Amino acid sequence: MKHEPAIQIDNVTKQFKDKKAVDRLSLTIEKGSVTALLGPNGAGKTTTVSMILGLMKPTSGTVKLLGGDPHDRAVRSRIGAMLQDTSVIDDLKVGETIDLFRSYYSRPLPLERLLAISGLGAERGKLAASLSGGQQRRLGFALAAAGDPEVLFLDEPTVGMDVTARALFWDTVRAMAGKGKTVLMTTHYLEEADQIADRAAVISQGRLIADGTPSSIKASATGRSISFTAGESLTRDMLLVVPGVADIDWKGSRVRLYSTDTDRLIGVLLERKMPMRDIEIQSGGLEEAFQNLLKKAQ
Amino acid sequence: MSQTYRATWAQCRAEMLRTIRNRRFVFFSILMPAAFFFIFTGTMDGGGMHNWAAYYLMSMTSYGVVGASLVTFSQRVSRERAQGWIRLLRMTPLPSGAYVLSKAAAQGAINIGLILVLFLTGGLSKSIDLPASVWIEAGLWIWAGGFAFMALGMLLGTMRNSDVVQVLATILYMSLSIVGGLWMPTSAMPQIMQTIAKFTPTYRMGQGPWALIGGQPVDWSGIGVLAVYMILFMVVSAYIMKKQEAV
Repeated sequence: MKHEPAIQIDNVTKQFKDKKAVDRLSLTIEKGSVTALLGPNGAGKTTTVSMILGLMKPTSGTVKLLGGDPHDRAVRSRIGAMLQDTSVIDDLKVGETIDLFRSYYSRPLPLERLLAISGLGAERGKLAASLSGGQQRRLGFALAAAGDPEVLFLDEPTVGMDVTARALFWDTVRAMAGKGKTVLMTTHYLEEADQIADRAAVISQGRLIADGTPSSIKASATGRSISFTAGESLTRDMLLVVPGVADIDWKGSRVRLYSTDTDRLIGVLLERKMPMRDIEIQSGGLEEAFQNLLKKAQ
Repeated sequence: MSQTYRATWAQCRAEMLRTIRNRRFVFFSILMPAAFFFIFTGTMDGGGMHNWAAYYLMSMTSYGVVGASLVTFSQRVSRERAQGWIRLLRMTPLPSGAYVLSKAAAQGAINIGLILVLFLTGGLSKSIDLPASVWIEAGLWIWAGGFAFMALGMLLGTMRNSDVVQVLATILYMSLSIVGGLWMPTSAMPQIMQTIAKFTPTYRMGQGPWALIGGQPVDWSGIGVLAVYMILFMVVSAYIMKKQEAV
């Protein structure tokens, strides 16, 4: 019971009429972890979350949420979710909307606290529909947190939020994670995942293509590389044994070495007097790394 | 269980607040019927009908309740669906039955207020003199009939495009009100229209109160017809919602 995972996805496929959105995906998410589901738009992240939440039925495979069925009220009272494409309820004020959601749960967080964590204290008496897009997202967060959930789902949570709001948002999520809450978020920004998650699962075309800590993902998909024209005596085997080389790309006489630490690698290469000419060091950003990873998977 | 009760009650209160804040509701369900009442009782005598003002007050109160239950209600349900609210609620511990129940209960409470306001406005301004029992029975009849139109509103609300819902609901509202004799008594219509009117839920809504104020025996089958309509609309909309949820 104690070691029961928060979320268990076992060999799940979701087939829509013309497209396989999720393809034999298996993923186990432990309690107390902060996991980011990463992937480009249309990768199947939202479909996966929808199936975990019981909003969609898997075509095959099984999904367990807190060891049970997401349709079970006992399970639903222990989760909270911030979905995409959810507008606010019209003709209700911010405070009224939060109070309404608080009433659904047996041990809700106090209204004041929810207003504080969503940064909406000053907007309490405003009609929810009059809020800006980013404020509406923050209200969505307050509603997701209303029941003091054990598992928090955040589907592209920071879309539309400004820099200050984002910072407050991630601080709050980090604090919740610190209290042992399980957080599953989707994002297509690797950077966000890197800042907050202790695990990143990368999905592309409905399949899991990488799974690990954000830094290991970064390392394996790093955009930093050293390229050079190889001298005739250089062989692939010589490069493979050099510490710090993540991957080698050999095109004609042009070689590209991928590495997490190109500064150190260049030192090592020079020290070992590798036969190389026209050396260039490229440093792609995180996003580029991520794109590389996706390209590799295809 | 007390948790469900508390949530349902909060949901009810929120629904009532939202309805009262909705300008469309105030316009269609209070201002418009009241204005029609004063215009038509001021300029016409209903063909010398006995107690014309009382007759027309019943028609207009029914008209207001139909509007509240059909037009504002259907649009709200549709918008909640389109804007993802129903999806969000499905992840909360609020039972889906509590959502529908609190919507109907809130609208029912609003309809009571609506009937009282229109009865008082019309009754006092035109000094309509009816026995208390007639006021109460007529009011109850209209109130009960309102649930059939809520079910119809719920059915329309299953469509996601709330603009289409609004147009459809308004067309249904106007045509049912005219054909059912809420605007003009059916007795002023050709025979064929009078026969058609008998099939409309709007006619059945007015039928009881009209008979009551005319001192005629009340034909309870009218409530029966309304109940059949209500069940029909509920079954169809429940079926559609089940189909929509199964993705």
